[in-house]
Amino acid sequence: MNKSLHPLVWWIWAGSLATAVAMTSSIPLAFGVVGAAGFIVRRKAEKAPWAKSFAWSIKVGTWVIVIRVLTGVLIGVPIPGRTLFTLPIIPLPDWMAGIRIGGPVTFERLSSTAHDGILIAAIIGLLGAAASLSSPHRLLRSMPVMVYEFGVTIVIATSILPQFVTSVSRIKEAQRLRGHESRGLASWRRIALPLFEDSLSRSLDLAAAMDSRGYGYSRKRSKYRNDHWTTRDYALCAFALLVFLRPEYLLIIVALSPLVLAP
Amino acid sequence: MIKFTNVSLIYPNSQQTVIEDLTFIVAEGELVLVMGSTGIGKSSLLRLINGLVPHHTGGILAGDISVNGISTQSVKPGGLAHLIGIVGQNPLNGFVTDTVEEELAFGMETLNLPPDVMRKRVEEILDLLSLAQLRNRSLATLSGGEQQRVAIGSALVMHPKVLVLDEPTSALDPVAAEEVLSILHRLVHDLGLTVIVSEHKLERVIQFADRIIHIQGGGQTQIGTPETIFASSALAPPIIHLARAMNVSEIPLSVRQMRRLTEPIRKHLSEITPDVVHTVDKAKIVVKVDRMSISYGAKEAIADTSLTICAGEIVAVMGRNGAGKSSLLRAIVGATSPSKGAVSIVGKDPFSLHGKERTELVGFIPQEPSDLLYGQSVREECSQADADNHVASGETFALIQTLVPGISQNTHPRDLSEGQRLSLALSVVLSAQPQLLVLDEPTRGLDYTAKVSLISILKEIAHAHDRAVIIATHDVELVAELASRVIFIAEGEIVADGTTMDVLLSSPAFAPQVAKVMSPSPWLTVKDVLTAMRNNP
Repeated sequence: MNKSLHPLVWWIWAGSLATAVAMTSSIPLAFGVVGAAGFIVRRKAEKAPWAKSFAWSIKVGTWVIVIRVLTGVLIGVPIPGRTLFTLPIIPLPDWMAGIRIGGPVTFERLSSTAHDGILIAAIIGLLGAAASLSSPHRLLRSMPVMVYEFGVTIVIATSILPQFVTSVSRIKEAQRLRGHESRGLASWRRIALPLFEDSLSRSLDLAAAMDSRGYGYSRKRSKYRNDHWTTRDYALCAFALLVFLRPEYLLIIVALSPLVLAP
Repeated sequence: MIKFTNVSLIYPNSQQTVIEDLTFIVAEGELVLVMGSTGIGKSSLLRLINGLVPHHTGGILAGDISVNGISTQSVKPGGLAHLIGIVGQNPLNGFVTDTVEEELAFGMETLNLPPDVMRKRVEEILDLLSLAQLRNRSLATLSGGEQQRVAIGSALVMHPKVLVLDEPTSALDPVAAEEVLSILHRLVHDLGLTVIVSEHKLERVIQFADRIIHIQGGGQTQIGTPETIFASSALAPPIIHLARAMNVSEIPLSVRQMRRLTEPIRKHLSEITPDVVHTVDKAKIVVKVDRMSISYGAKEAIADTSLTICAGEIVAVMGRNGAGKSSLLRAIVGATSPSKGAVSIVGKDPFSLHGKERTELVGFIPQEPSDLLYGQSVREECSQADADNHVASGETFALIQTLVPGISQNTHPRDLSEGQRLSLALSVVLSAQPQLLVLDEPTRGLDYTAKVSLISILKEIAHAHDRAVIIATHDVELVAELASRVIFIAEGEIVADGTTMDVLLSSPAFAPQVAKVMSPSPWLTVKDVLTAMRNNP
């Protein structure tokens, strides 16, 4: 059987890609890299609850772009240029001089805010890809023991979060079948109550299970399987760092490199 | 091995003691069964053994509990990890890692055992519990029985002297349950392990138990061999009820023993055939499933299935864990839309139903009845249902009072017992008077008394009100008492569809206890046999 990559390698890969994207600050490249990372996730991610992180991070990224563009258009310093349309200016008190809400929206202003938003979204997307590709539990395990010591919270959080998502859809469905359509604030309350009860009891169960299996009782902790760094791990890391030499040419190649280098 | 000395337990903010002045000793290599109604304190008793109660839950504990000479008051649960393995009610909730092998190793890692010892022990356990093929599988993808086996394995791998299991078979189909129980039996006999197990489905476990602790509520507890406990206990599996009714000289614990004891009676009854109790008028079709397929991605959950269900029928859907029962039910109630084919309830597509129109056609009780509930009290929940279904105020509460008399209006739904919560969800759904009622495994964690009332409610709905009821369950005894028709699903296909009698009797694993005792005569329930005996003295 092929040993899967060391979980840290995926984070190094995603981290260097994200930094390189920020360095080049090029929109086509940002789209290209996220697309390539998405392709890798599709090909390499295991069937596990955390594999959905990428899809979630893309959703979050989209919201970031939308919010960034909206706030950028409404508030801020005017950038001169070709005016697309003009919003009514909302008068502000004197002490807030320099800040303006509304006013003429120029093409330059729109494109610069969209540009920033897309870059941030790309970075979020790349980190989401790393989360999809490596198990949070295994990553935690390869951390030093001192970090592991406060691991109960993290273990619970990483196990409960995917459960949270499935619980929401399960409860929503049950409520719909009771004849309640899920719209508005009232429906949120109907979902939140069973959801919190569910998550709380799960967390308590897990904490009890960890406790009764001796977690945290012994100061030292042995490792069943040391996550050794293989040649392949080193190779992918080295390759990922190579991106900084010539980000504009190497980005996409590095993003797709796991296709060849990962088992 | 385990010693309870004058143990009493009371939880904070509670007036009632869970356990009062309990004293007993469990010897090494004993298998002890803890039984009692739901919510009476079985789990508390089990969790007292390794100190999770009160260290983890709070509560006041009087008296002393010691395991292998170590008092649980002096150490935390973690300090007993090498001595006591504990397997919770829902193993998936207790898993800490991702894969089978890592889960097995987790406990040993926390105890700082050297890697070569861990390797050896993991291999041993993989073989002992036949988990070797699953070693690299993700825990979330295992079936219920496999998960239970992994949970047992990850407790055993620490080489504990005591194994504590909280309802290990409640979520399992009869075959998987058999598998888990035979493993326990083997562990007790081969390794001299001390096992404490709680279980509602007594028919599955009593033949393995050396002794029984019967928690009767109000601080009362009875301890003794199965024979002495079942001489008087009202809480008993069908085989004991049958033996009592037949006036058998001994208390039988297994089907084999009962058959030996009842040879003359069986011979006498062998000429009589049971009469069919309830006939269904096939005129009013409620559910029509037409060549339906459901697939999730590449996996086909239900393949090309057709089915009709009429008013007045109680249909039990059975099959292994993961056979497609839930998928079928979800499509029938309209939670999912089938990938191919069509479903209709009284001529309407259930997927497109909304609001009042939906509740009047189909009522659904999910596996977790609490998913439906969000009110802060029983009263709030009931008045919400009254308003939703445009019925007179107080009608839903009147309904729940017929199901569980004496329920308080001010109780928070979370504080109800499992059976009461199911009844509340049931009344909320029934207040709309749906044409079809669908229940997905409603008997997890229900005791015999709660089951008896559930059976009478469902029978009344189907027969007196002429509605259709569909119920997915693993509980063969419930099916024998309740259903008029059984659909057996395997790998997404209906492999058997017929009267309860025909389907249950044709499979040895799914036959109820009475049928196994009375075989080859076709009897399913204690009541049927009794009526026959009374009519043919």
